[in-house]
Amino acid sequence: MSDVPVLRELAVRELQVRSFRNIARADLVFGERFNVLSGDNGQGKTNLLEALYTVATSRSFRATRPGELVQHDGEVASVRASVEESGDLREQQVGLRAGARQVKIDGKRPSTLADYAVRTPAVIFHPGEVSLSMGAGSERRRLLDRLSLYLDPSSMAELESYGRALRSRQKTLETRGTSAPELGEWEALAVRHGLAVMRARARAAEPLGRMATLAFARIGAPDLTLDIRYAPGAPVDEDTYLAALAARRESDRHRGSAHVGPHRDDLSLLLDGRPVRGVASQGQHRAIVLSLKSAEVQVVGESRGVHPLLLLDDVSSELDPARTEALFSFLRDQAGQIFLTTTRKELIATGSTASRVDFRVQNGTLERTS
Amino acid sequence: MLSPKARRLTQLLARLPGVGEKTAQRYLLYLLTSGTEVARELGEELARLPETLRPCVRCGNIAEVEHPNEDAVCAICRDGKRDGHLLCVVARVHDLVAIERAGSMRGRYFVLGKLLSPLEGIGPEELPLAQLVARIREDDVREIIVATPPSVDGEATALLLKRELGRELGDSALTVTRIASGVPHGGDLEFADPITMGRALSGRQKL
Repeated sequence: MSDVPVLRELAVRELQVRSFRNIARADLVFGERFNVLSGDNGQGKTNLLEALYTVATSRSFRATRPGELVQHDGEVASVRASVEESGDLREQQVGLRAGARQVKIDGKRPSTLADYAVRTPAVIFHPGEVSLSMGAGSERRRLLDRLSLYLDPSSMAELESYGRALRSRQKTLETRGTSAPELGEWEALAVRHGLAVMRARARAAEPLGRMATLAFARIGAPDLTLDIRYAPGAPVDEDTYLAALAARRESDRHRGSAHVGPHRDDLSLLLDGRPVRGVASQGQHRAIVLSLKSAEVQVVGESRGVHPLLLLDDVSSELDPARTEALFSFLRDQAGQIFLTTTRKELIATGSTASRVDFRVQNGTLERTS
Repeated sequence: MLSPKARRLTQLLARLPGVGEKTAQRYLLYLLTSGTEVARELGEELARLPETLRPCVRCGNIAEVEHPNEDAVCAICRDGKRDGHLLCVVARVHDLVAIERAGSMRGRYFVLGKLLSPLEGIGPEELPLAQLVARIREDDVREIIVATPPSVDGEATALLLKRELGRELGDSALTVTRIASGVPHGGDLEFADPITMGRALSGRQKL
C-alpha cells in the first residue's frame, strides 16, 4: 500500500475487575504506552490480560464458556473499563456467569455481540500461539474469523448458522439415514452459510497474507519468502459444493462429521514454496507466528481506524535474544497502548521510562510500583 | 420459609415462560394478601379454560368455544370476508398475532406449532404436513405464504414445505412464496444490522 493510513489513539484508562479467575478485586489506572505486569508464575498476570481482552472484545482468548472465568467461590464476574478513543471516553462492561455473558457500552446493551466485539480492538500474543504455525488448522481459522469480524460484521452470525445447519445434517444422517429427503434442505443451508463464511475468510486472508509476508521479510530470514494463501475446505462453486456433500453422506455418517466445508478451511503457509510444517525450524516457526500476529495488528488497526491494544503474555520467554529485540523494535514502532506480562521485568526493554508503568502481581492482587 | 402448599403453588407458577422463582413468589404473595378476588376469578377461569378456549381445529390459532362438544374454530377461519385461496403458514400463534397486528393479511393462516429441528429431536414427521395438504385441497388454496422465522431452522422448514408441497400437489396451480426480509419502515438505514441490510440488498426490487 502506498499511503499509510492515520490511525486514531485508543487506550484503556481505568480498569475494575471483580471475581475474575483468581482476581477478587482490582482497581487500576493504566499508562497510555507500556504497562508492565511482573510477578512469579501462577500469581494472576495472564488472568489480568484475559480480563482486559474480555472487556475489550467480549470474549476470552482461553476459555470457551463464560462460567470458567468466574472466581471459584463467586457467582458473577465483572470487568469494567473506561476507554478513551481520540479524546472521547466510553465505559465498557462485561458481566459473566455460568452460561451467560452480558455486555454494555455506556450502560446500554449493544444491538449485537459482534457490534461490541469490534469497538475496542485488542490483539493478544501468547505462548500457545506457536500452534498458528506448527499446529492444526483450528488456530488459523480462529485468526481468520477474528479478522472477518472487522471486515464483514455479519460473518459471526454466518458462522453460527453454518454450524447449526451442519450439526442438523449430521444429526439427520445419524437418526434418519442417508436417504432422508430433508438432508437436501440441511445441505442447501450448509452450503448457503458455508459459502458466506468462505467469502468472509477469503477477504480476511488477502490483507493478512500480504502484510505477514512483508513482516516476515523484516523479522525472519531475509533470504526466505513466506507465502500465505487461503485454502478453502469446500468447492467455492455452489453446485459442486452441494454435489460433494450429497455424494459423501454414507462416509460422513460413519466419520461423524462432514468431509467438506469451511470447518476444514486452512491458511497454507509456504516457505520458499514448501509447506512450513515439514521444513521450518523452531526459530522460523516463531518468526512466522510473529509475522502473522503483526499482520493481525495491522489489518485490525486499518479496518477499524485505531491503534489496537496489544497484549503480550510472557512472550520474551519464548524467543531468543535476537527475536526478542526484533519484537521490541516492532513494539516501539507501534503507537498504541501495550500491556506485557513477565517474570523478569528487567528483561523488558521498553525504551524510555517516562512512557512505562510497572505493576506487581502477587496472589491475585495488583499494585502499581512506578 | 413457605409452607409445602405455598411452595407447590410457587413451583407451578414458575413453570410459566418468563417467570422465575422470585417472580412466582411475588405473584403468590399478592394473590394471598391483596388479590384474593383476582385469585378466585383466575382460578375459575383457568379451571374452565379447556371448555372456553382451544386451538382452532382448522388452523391452530386460539379459538373460543361456545358449547363443550362443538369443534373449536377461530374468528379468522369463520370470517367470510377472508380470502380462502390465500394461506399464510407460521411457526407459532405469536407469529400469527404479529402478522394480524399489521392488518394487511387478507387470507387465512396455518400454524405449524414447531419447526424442523433435528438437534431438538423434531423431524419432518412431527410437522403437521398431512393436515396442511388436506387444508390446501379442501379450501382450494392458490398461494401459500411461508412466514417461518429467518433462522436456520425456520429456513430449513420453509425449504422442506416447498419440496413436500411440490411433491404432494405437483401439477396443481399452487404458488409457494416466502416473506421478504429487509430494512424496517420509517427507520434510518444506518440502524439496520448488517445481515438485514445484506438481505435487503440481495432481495432488492426493480423500480
